[in-house]
Amino acid sequence: MKKLRLATLWLDGCSGCHMSLLDADERLLELTAFFDIVYSPLVDVKQFPEKVDITCIEGPISSPEDERLLAEVRKRTRLLVAMGDCAVTGNIPAMRNIEGAPAMLQNIYTGQELLQPQVPGTDIPILNDKALPIHHFVPVDLFIPGCPPSADTLFTTLTALVKGETDQIPLPACFGA
Amino acid sequence: MQQITIAPVTRIEGHACIRLFVDDNGGVCDARFQVTQIRGFERFITGRPFFEMPSLTARICGICPVSHQLASAKACDQLLAVTIPATAARLRAILNFGQLIQSHALSFFYLSAPDLLLGMDHPVATRNFFGVAEKDPQFARDGIELRKFGQQVIERLAGRRIHPTWAVPGGVRSPLEHSARDAILSDLPAMQTLVRNHLQRFRDSLSRYQEYADNFGSFPSLFLSLVGDQDQLEHYHGNLRFIDAHGTTIINDLSPANYQEYIGEAVEPWTYLKFPYYLPQGYPDGMYRVGPLARLNVSRCCGTRHADSELNLFKQLAAGKPVLNSFHAHYARLIEVLYALEMMEQLLADSSILDPHVRAVAGVNQFEGIGAIEAPRGTLIHHYRVDADGLIVRANLIIATGHNNLAMNKAILQAARRYIVSNRLEEGMLNRVEAVIRTFDPCLSCSTHAVGSMPFVIELIAPDGQCIDRIRR
Amino acid sequence: MTTPILTLTIDGKEVSGLATETILQVARENGFSIPTLCWLEGLTSVGSCRLCMVELRGSTALHPACITLIQEGMTVTTSSERLLRYRRAIIELLFSERNHACAVCVVNGHCELQSLAQQLGLDHISFPGLYPALPVDASHSRFVMDHNRCILCTRCVRVCSEIEGAHTWDVKDRGIRSRIVADLDTPWGDSTTCTGCGKCVHVCPTGALFEKGKSVAEMFKKPPALPYLKATRAQEV
Repeated sequence: MKKLRLATLWLDGCSGCHMSLLDADERLLELTAFFDIVYSPLVDVKQFPEKVDITCIEGPISSPEDERLLAEVRKRTRLLVAMGDCAVTGNIPAMRNIEGAPAMLQNIYTGQELLQPQVPGTDIPILNDKALPIHHFVPVDLFIPGCPPSADTLFTTLTALVKGETDQIPLPACFGA
Repeated sequence: MQQITIAPVTRIEGHACIRLFVDDNGGVCDARFQVTQIRGFERFITGRPFFEMPSLTARICGICPVSHQLASAKACDQLLAVTIPATAARLRAILNFGQLIQSHALSFFYLSAPDLLLGMDHPVATRNFFGVAEKDPQFARDGIELRKFGQQVIERLAGRRIHPTWAVPGGVRSPLEHSARDAILSDLPAMQTLVRNHLQRFRDSLSRYQEYADNFGSFPSLFLSLVGDQDQLEHYHGNLRFIDAHGTTIINDLSPANYQEYIGEAVEPWTYLKFPYYLPQGYPDGMYRVGPLARLNVSRCCGTRHADSELNLFKQLAAGKPVLNSFHAHYARLIEVLYALEMMEQLLADSSILDPHVRAVAGVNQFEGIGAIEAPRGTLIHHYRVDADGLIVRANLIIATGHNNLAMNKAILQAARRYIVSNRLEEGMLNRVEAVIRTFDPCLSCSTHAVGSMPFVIELIAPDGQCIDRIRR
Repeated sequence: MTTPILTLTIDGKEVSGLATETILQVARENGFSIPTLCWLEGLTSVGSCRLCMVELRGSTALHPACITLIQEGMTVTTSSERLLRYRRAIIELLFSERNHACAVCVVNGHCELQSLAQQLGLDHISFPGLYPALPVDASHSRFVMDHNRCILCTRCVRVCSEIEGAHTWDVKDRGIRSRIVADLDTPWGDSTTCTGCGKCVHVCPTGALFEKGKSVAEMFKKPPALPYLKATRAQEV
């Protein structure tokens, strides 16, 4: 059986979904029988490769940099998976949307008690006003809600995708589960 | 001025970008560790009821959610102005040890082992945990086993591995069950053996890493951590202590509630991560380090048998003075894991750990609460102010990676000067610069996160700002 | 004068009910499940959430089952692609209208909105969120009203007025700007009418109303048996 090329991408989430994937424990090594992990925070490749079969994305989109990367990932990926509540709904990071980025940054970086109070903005990505779910920018093929989705859910989903049984994927979790 | 950029920094918990500035003579003159996003927890939790905080702030980080939950719960205990049941405090301490073990296992076996075991010059495509599993399956299995044990402790106490909702203002939500206690106790001996073997193995191979030890964040600095009342290693209770590079205590018995007397925070325009500094020495001179290395330097002993004998060997590295090389944080982590396993055994052995009274109930009795805890990566401080209704008015969170911010920047500069010669840029060299960052095991999701993956680029920037050359990896 | 018994067809099954009964009542008596949010047994039906819409033969419009009385010979469809589409859209609109972060909600795992989303197979929200700035009223000594999670079902208004008889809660403004208010828009803690009975908290389908001091996922709603309450009171009169 030909191995699938798997990528995992961590945007503005907390890494909990990636940790949940690691919670597959010893099954993690089984995954390498089905997948070549071609891009991930866990491996060292810096550039998102071409011809990726599955990309799991954790976290919402928070900056133009995220948007740019997401567009590239979508182009190079056959099956895009929104992994976890943040990627699916915006979840906790979207709580900042009520106030918007400029006011939030003002509040965090210009407090009385700080030395050199100023809103950072030299050579670093500017934040979008809002942190938004992935499907607001590009089409998403599969949504896996949960905060985080359990290791079982993630493992079952990935192995179902290997077998091409996308309609067999159980979604035991609801938002926030 | 030429600029070299490494982005994203991989195999750390979070993303960041390293910018190196090269002067006209080809020497690295400045290095910046840039944290490129912020989610804004300090701000958007304002207006929320304080009893949501332990679970809400846990979402700062999926690697150390338990640390945030506990620091938060400790801050909330102060808002209630209660003394929580002794059993609840002990259960929280066990939960914290579970957290420490799984996180250290992740750092050592999953994230740093590729550099240590495969080597800095190993091909990039397989220089990762799966490559380690190929080369040394047992090593990888041990890593999985140890992390799993830590995660299971969390699950057995708190109901789930990631983002549990167990620690609450006033204590914990449910007592420990007999079966959970027995399960943890029965796993402990095998885990202790596993860790002692790896400690032995790491110690035996130390000479191989001498080059890194000398160049990876090896410089004098202050150290900060919580410490117990007998000068012993402490992760949950205790007060703060600053020591200097000679091991002299400069601030002792500092209650976390008074952290602002000695810790200030500065902002730089090129990173979203603030720079905490030791106030009496000013900024940026007041650089200090937190984390496993700091904890072992600050503490006189562990207070458990096997960890103490390991600590004695560790302290011999610097003839009893503080160990100044950040590289030895890897070593320190393994000792801490051993200590955590022994402490867990002690705490679980006492049957009072099963006491059903684990929660004190109260409303808002104080408008300010500060909780500190030793997270795997160092001292974590949650500071809340609430109104009379219990809604958060202001929050300040100082995370471990923040405390280390000044030191990380200094360590990168040191490594870059040693390894980067501007006309000769090789993968292995750049990876060494990244590896410095990994010794700090920064958890950037705590503060922020993610640079997106600007492909790895080295940019040579002329004084007029023109890009004269560019190399991509 | 006895109430006539009528026969009708629900999803192809012939059933009967009293002329005073609604489609929802007869459907539930016969084991058909129609999703509801604003409806609660023992409170007046207002037909405002539109989740219980059903199709009736001979009508192009959809009809709310909770306030539509049965008629002789009616043919009702309780579930179809079209109905599912509408129901999903309603839930999605509710999620996008205010600020729902289920993961850190006090009723996570015990929330009617959350479980309806799951039952209807919603795995994401297609509408963009509005992210309005809404207050949390924690001025009451025992309870909290978090407007971020309120879906304006008005169960609290009705239970307070019809069962408790206090009529502390009401709705101010119109449309999307509607907001539940205590007394004449005073902080709940200052209310002179609230008896502190907690009925509103326990009939609230989401985490909008909850008990102070409960942490995330810790709040279980225990709706009082309203029809029984009403029946025993009627006997006392």
